[in-house]
Amino acid sequence: MAETMVSLQGICKRFGKLEVLKGVDIEIGRGEVVCVLGPSGSGKSTLLRCVNLLEPPEEGEIFIEGHDICKGPGSGTGAESWELDFVRQRVGIVFQQFNLFPHKTALQNVTLAQERVLGRSKAEAREKATELLERVGLGDQLGQYPETLSGGQQQRVAIARALAMDPHVMLFDEVTSALDPELVKEVLDTMRELAEEGMTMMVVTHEIGFAREVADRVVFMDGGVIVEEGKPADVLENPREERTRQFLGLVLDR
Amino acid sequence: MSEFFHQYFDFNIMGAHFSEILEGFLRNLLLFAFAVVLSLAFGLFLALLRQLPGRKFMPLRGLTIAYIDVFRAIPVLIVLFLISGGIPYLNFLPKDIRIPHWLGQPDPFWYAVVGLTMVYGAYMAEVYRAGIEAVPAGQREAARSLGMSHGQTMRHVVVPQAVTLIPAPMLNEMISLLKETTLASVIAYSESLLLGREVLAETFNSSAVMLSGLMFLVVVLPLARLVDYLIKRNQTKITRGSHIEVA
Repeated sequence: MAETMVSLQGICKRFGKLEVLKGVDIEIGRGEVVCVLGPSGSGKSTLLRCVNLLEPPEEGEIFIEGHDICKGPGSGTGAESWELDFVRQRVGIVFQQFNLFPHKTALQNVTLAQERVLGRSKAEAREKATELLERVGLGDQLGQYPETLSGGQQQRVAIARALAMDPHVMLFDEVTSALDPELVKEVLDTMRELAEEGMTMMVVTHEIGFAREVADRVVFMDGGVIVEEGKPADVLENPREERTRQFLGLVLDR
Repeated sequence: MSEFFHQYFDFNIMGAHFSEILEGFLRNLLLFAFAVVLSLAFGLFLALLRQLPGRKFMPLRGLTIAYIDVFRAIPVLIVLFLISGGIPYLNFLPKDIRIPHWLGQPDPFWYAVVGLTMVYGAYMAEVYRAGIEAVPAGQREAARSLGMSHGQTMRHVVVPQAVTLIPAPMLNEMISLLKETTLASVIAYSESLLLGREVLAETFNSSAVMLSGLMFLVVVLPLARLVDYLIKRNQTKITRGSHIEVA
């Protein structure tokens, strides 16, 4: 496998008494696309949010590009014991609910953090943002506010916004689940292009078709653990585990 | 009945003292102008202190919450007396602070500005907080995962959205502040109520006080209608599903 970009080891996460992740190990190589499947409540979104520390795990180690992002030995608990800046400069995320800034235009959504975080000049940020928005097919919507864009367009702006920070890894958290069916394809196409360009991607999704076509590896989670993982053809066509078979049966039967 | 009208609506007395009361009312407005700008700023400052993250800011958050609770609980009038009746005698303070006459305004004016700002800053902090907490958590998550600091997130993402959610409750606080500028009369700031009371003491007639009340009415009524309009507008937005009501 290529150089390891993300490595999670023994990740545990609790919300109060509820144990959401019960010791998850996962490795993602450079340029690899890993799709995480599983029923709701299986912990897949939480796992994704652990990677960029939106939900810092209680136990376990996280390495990004070989760098241990826990401060000091062992893992910490609160957000303060992790190297937030290191992670967030390298890991971009796209959310189910888009979370675009409603008081900013599409262009401003993409330039804001470039200027404030990376210190790029207005012109530089604008150029980069325009280029990215053109790339996701929104070159003619630069001045629009999110409210006036369709869900699919908003989600593509959100992808451009994350890419503007030059991330090394992109996380996708059920990014098509809130979209009308006819808008799903435009977002998946954008993600497919990104994968073809060699982006390292961790994708939590219910889109089995996308996983089959685009993923290098599929991970099936249930009950806070990884049940099964492997090549999409193997996991999706010939699942070893009963639980995986059951889930895929329900999803594919729709 | 005519006795009643004579007591409250004697047009001769109103006419004779109109310009005097109006001048007093303009002093109410001047006091309001200072106090409202300062308490809006101070309130935002308090609200932001209260939002500081992490364990190391816990003491500061605690102090801020204590301040807000205390000043929401004490009557404004008592705060005004504590200031005007105490500060002048604190001899370790420089005279300019004990008895301020800045910008050509008398010391009671400044005592009132400070007292109203201390109390209304606490009220407004609570309104800002409602707005800040009504901004969906996903907004903060998005900004933070783009690498923005807590401060940048508040300044560029959360606060600009929070203030658009709270114009109606904020305006209500402002209306209440405008009316409470009359409390400055008891610490000898010669605003409209104080002047009206002087007329009352001379003539045993309430028409000048009534005149002062009417002036407030003229200014506040349109503002109250504006609040209703803003609430209604906000509700239409909710039905369109684009905003959250916190009024």
